[in-house]
Amino acid sequence: MAETQTKTIVVTRFDPDRDEAPRQQRYEVPVEPDWKILDALNYIKDEVDPTLSHRWSCRMAVCGSCGMNVNGEPKLTCKDPVTGYGDVIEVAPLANFPVIRDLVTEMEGFMERLQKVKPFILRAKELAVEAGPTRQSPAELDDYRQFSMCINCMLCYAACPVVANEPDFLGPAAIALGHRYNLDTRDQGQGERNEIFRDDGGIFSCSFANECSRVCPKHVDPAGAIQQAKLRNVIDWVTGLVRRREEGVR
Amino acid sequence: MVDVVRHDVVIVGGGGAGLRAAIAAVEADPTLSVALVSKVYPMRSHTVSAEGGAAAVPPGAVDDSLEKHAYDTVKGSDFLGDQPVIQYFVEEAPKELIRLEHWGCPWSRNADGTVATRPFGGMQTPRTWYATDKVGFHMLHTLFQHSLRFPGIVRYDEHFVTKLLVDGGRCGGVAALDVRTGEMRAVLGRAVILTTGGAGKVWPFTTNGNIKTGDGMALAYREGVPLEDMEFVQYHPTGLPGTGILITEAARGEGGTLLNSEGERFLTTRDYGVGTKAELGPRDMISRAILQEIEAGRGISLPGKLGQYVQLDLRHLGRGKLEARLPFVLELSRTYAGVDPVEQPIPIRPVLHYMMGGVDVDIDGLTAIGGLYAAGEVACVSLNGANRLGSNSLTECLVFGARAGVHASRLAKDTSAGGEAPLLEQAQAEGARLDGLRGRKRGGETVSGVRHALNQAMEAGTGVYREQAAMQKAVADVAELSRRYDDVSLSDTSKVFNTELTAMLELRNLLDVAEAVATAAVNRKESRGAHACRDFPKRNDQDYLHHSLVSWSPSGPRFSTKPVALGVWVPEERKY
Amino acid sequence: MSHARPRVDAMKSARPGPTRTAPPRPPDGFPGARASAVGAVPPGREKLRSYLAFGFGGFFLMSVSLLVLRAVWALGNGEAAWSRVQASLQNPIYVIFHALAFVWLSWFVLRLFRLFPATQPRRIGPLRRPPDAVLVGGLSAAFVGVTLALAAILSGALG
Repeated sequence: MAETQTKTIVVTRFDPDRDEAPRQQRYEVPVEPDWKILDALNYIKDEVDPTLSHRWSCRMAVCGSCGMNVNGEPKLTCKDPVTGYGDVIEVAPLANFPVIRDLVTEMEGFMERLQKVKPFILRAKELAVEAGPTRQSPAELDDYRQFSMCINCMLCYAACPVVANEPDFLGPAAIALGHRYNLDTRDQGQGERNEIFRDDGGIFSCSFANECSRVCPKHVDPAGAIQQAKLRNVIDWVTGLVRRREEGVR
Repeated sequence: MVDVVRHDVVIVGGGGAGLRAAIAAVEADPTLSVALVSKVYPMRSHTVSAEGGAAAVPPGAVDDSLEKHAYDTVKGSDFLGDQPVIQYFVEEAPKELIRLEHWGCPWSRNADGTVATRPFGGMQTPRTWYATDKVGFHMLHTLFQHSLRFPGIVRYDEHFVTKLLVDGGRCGGVAALDVRTGEMRAVLGRAVILTTGGAGKVWPFTTNGNIKTGDGMALAYREGVPLEDMEFVQYHPTGLPGTGILITEAARGEGGTLLNSEGERFLTTRDYGVGTKAELGPRDMISRAILQEIEAGRGISLPGKLGQYVQLDLRHLGRGKLEARLPFVLELSRTYAGVDPVEQPIPIRPVLHYMMGGVDVDIDGLTAIGGLYAAGEVACVSLNGANRLGSNSLTECLVFGARAGVHASRLAKDTSAGGEAPLLEQAQAEGARLDGLRGRKRGGETVSGVRHALNQAMEAGTGVYREQAAMQKAVADVAELSRRYDDVSLSDTSKVFNTELTAMLELRNLLDVAEAVATAAVNRKESRGAHACRDFPKRNDQDYLHHSLVSWSPSGPRFSTKPVALGVWVPEERKY
Repeated sequence: MSHARPRVDAMKSARPGPTRTAPPRPPDGFPGARASAVGAVPPGREKLRSYLAFGFGGFFLMSVSLLVLRAVWALGNGEAAWSRVQASLQNPIYVIFHALAFVWLSWFVLRLFRLFPATQPRRIGPLRRPPDAVLVGGLSAAFVGVTLALAAILSGALG
């Protein structure tokens, strides 16, 4: 069982000061059976080629740094076992993102989308600390908890066909996060967020490919969040025509 | 040429303490501009990995009190914590956690909708607020998302601070490497707060992520700020084999038990000083107990893994409770240890987790350098003394991050900016230094080679159990490794996202921190809290009831001490 | 189709980045994506083919709608026009087309049902959402039952 095996890791490299376009470089790596893909990359950096650049930190699938495309699939490399692959493994930067260097992608677009959905509690009147914690039942917490589990690893963006084709699309994680706040009983900002959701590049650009939920390593189910958001958005819009929501925050 | 940006307050590190400080600063004065400079995007900060919970006396608690929380913390610190600091901490703790609740943190709830609490190590009554078993993740994301409301907080993501800009005894900003472009940026401000966390990567077996390299500690140390109580490093009892991934204390809080190779629940059958608290004793005592069991031959070996382990048994909790209260523990055990806790006990051993010591600061977070503050794990206030109680550190980030943020904002408001020229010269010089460092050729050493050697040296000299001879050797080893550092040759000459360069900078920080830890350790000739010295197995309040201080000097680290701020509680024998 | 590669401005930021970046690569399951150097077939490939078939099926819906429009127009234009339309529908081409459309539409509906549970919130009022298998099974069974009943009625087997 504890047998080291040699695998060939084919890594996409790109140095904007030297390379016209990304190229591939092959490394022979003696992998241990309990290694994840990240361990193989760290072996390359520490023992073979210190010029390889990649992002990683927690190595326990909670910080979201190490998302990459492995044999074509978006994966969290600190969670993905090497035993799931044959003798040759292709590691590339996350799809759908511009590439800064080697396996490091441009994240600013993602950060802007997060900001756009107003991912914070919006309330007409701020609460004082003296008021103590608000009450929220376990069932109410359960309604949105799943959507609060996103580690911002962006695998969903790498898998989404709409992200590839519509430059303004908010994308799965951002919408799921906005929906998480919409569902939180402490929030009163559904009105504002629903307007953003209805906008160009919002929830109605989603064509329900479901790729995002398929690749999500934390089972957030962003596709579910988006479809639920669509339904709620339409209902809220219709009822908004009938009566004004006084709790809505302006 | 160095790019210059100007703000009022500059915060280095974007985790729990840094984000809380930034929010506190802009709330105290919305006209302020606060720069948040972090070498990673804030969601990647290591706060994210904390699991168990955050402690505070719950509002309306009947059988708990601020006094009890304070006493537990003082006793847990083995009477080295500064009591006025601890008093302030327990008062502010509930307010901070309530604020977080208002900001959207998904605290787990009781059936009636009130915030739930769970028992934790060294606490006489349950007061640890939790969010299933991913409290750090939820806290960090709540803080980060809440911070997005404030246009006054300007982020410099993936900027690695390499030097504090200090002139005339005052800190006026930082020199930060823009990792993406490879260019130096001078981020100026009238107050600077270090919130960069601890330095677990000094040791080979640690719960800490790759980014925990003691950057802030080293930055302050190199400017002459003393590092306090560095010998006190916490070994968390339950880390997974090989990876060192943390299995939260909450697993024991929910009823998990520790068994040796004979299936014996050794904390109850043998006297390890934890009394009836058993698995919920303080971390230093539990870690020592586990190692003693292993040394006595009652540990388990695992194929392909170094060292020996004992077992954390969660089977009797049942699948339902495990899935409801400890889902992350289930996921981590299955993914990283190949063990399903529903069916089998989890093999674990003590793992380096937290640093009680850090930058010497007062209760406001102010250091010896004007305008320079520190809060969170990077600082030593001292809240945790010689040993930290679990679930106190997340609250610590909030309480002292907020206080430092408020004080820094006041200072920034009341101060006019000093002369920029000396600061910019320093930043310029830093830029040139890094340009020369990239891809430089010296001897045959590599970054990873020296780092690996440092890990081994510190493991041998500053483990759970220490000996004078080994600690002295560690001091010598670190000095030797510092010389080897100057012999390191680098391969990556690129400017864009050069992570070999950042690893090299981090290694320098690790060496500086290690120097302080080893020096402080060899100078404490007693056993207290997490510093267990075989040559001096007893606590010695007569001679050693003081905080250690290590300061940098060109001729090597200088050791000094300062008194502990006592209060209501007088040091007594620490038995549970 | 433009699905062969992502737009160069996919995931673009509002501000241009300070260094030159390589353009985004497509999700590897896409037809037209560069073949893998290791010959790997990403699991996503099958899912994306099914997704494209789901979308392209709009062609069937449009064609059936046009045929229905033609029949409705004929109804409004007298007996002769209606008889011509009815006669034309007996051409084997139309029979094959309608058979294919029926197969595709059934697959479309069942696939839609599989996606349906995700659209529902966890609780509807005080009631918890039923397990996905129940929702999907129930809808699919209802669809099959109604289809069979209609077929029986229209073919005259049932009154």
